[in-house]
Amino acid sequence: MMTENHMKMQIPAYGKNESFARNAVAGFAVECGPTVSELSDIRTAVSEAVTNAVVHAYDEERAENLIEIAADIDSDNTLTVSVRDFGRGIADVAAALEPFFTTKPDEERSGMGFTVIETFMDEMKVDSAPGKGTTVVMRKRIGGNARS
Amino acid sequence: MSIECIKDGGRLTVLFSGDIDEYACRTLRGEIDGSIDASAPSEVIFDLKKVSFVDSTGLGLILGRYKKLSRTGGVLRLKDVPPAVDRVLRAAGVYTVVEKVK
Repeated sequence: MMTENHMKMQIPAYGKNESFARNAVAGFAVECGPTVSELSDIRTAVSEAVTNAVVHAYDEERAENLIEIAADIDSDNTLTVSVRDFGRGIADVAAALEPFFTTKPDEERSGMGFTVIETFMDEMKVDSAPGKGTTVVMRKRIGGNARS
Repeated sequence: MSIECIKDGGRLTVLFSGDIDEYACRTLRGEIDGSIDASAPSEVIFDLKKVSFVDSTGLGLILGRYKKLSRTGGVLRLKDVPPAVDRVLRAAGVYTVVEKVK
């Protein structure tokens, strides 16, 4: 039987931490016995959420601009990851979830970040308000999908 | 992440090694565009066989170079795409505009 597990960490919203964050969560998820594809899906989804926080939440890369990442494994082998920032927030969450929506087209942002998370995880929820930061919660049952 | 640009006639091959994420794209974009501007290729091949990770910022990088080349009649092709990278590029819809070759 699976024992529940939990992790939480805070990192500055630095671009160089994108790689650290996705690999840390993937390392935590290894306990669930994911396939190579599932691990790749988790890494990609976490990277999208963390990148959003780095690019959009804050104006500058400063040590006090934080991203908080928590992950939980529950008894039925479901991984829940939350990526939270304390930055500017999103005024229209429904619009931000639309494929190709971006506020920064001049920087070649694809606008596909949330779409990629939705594709690779079983569930995604975005909680945000202007000035209140953004929390992205995503969930994936490991070993639960026949999908390759 | 590092890249190597190899010019062969009208073809420019960009060999990527490592993770293509937002942090890597900050420098990759300029390096690749510098190489394209210097050699004005008719065809650019992104060789992805040594890429270990990509997310949607990689999509932005690919589509940005596709648009840049289209303005001068050049084409972009993606070569040797590893399975994990392929899943992301497929989900993000890259292959509707950029061709994948073996």
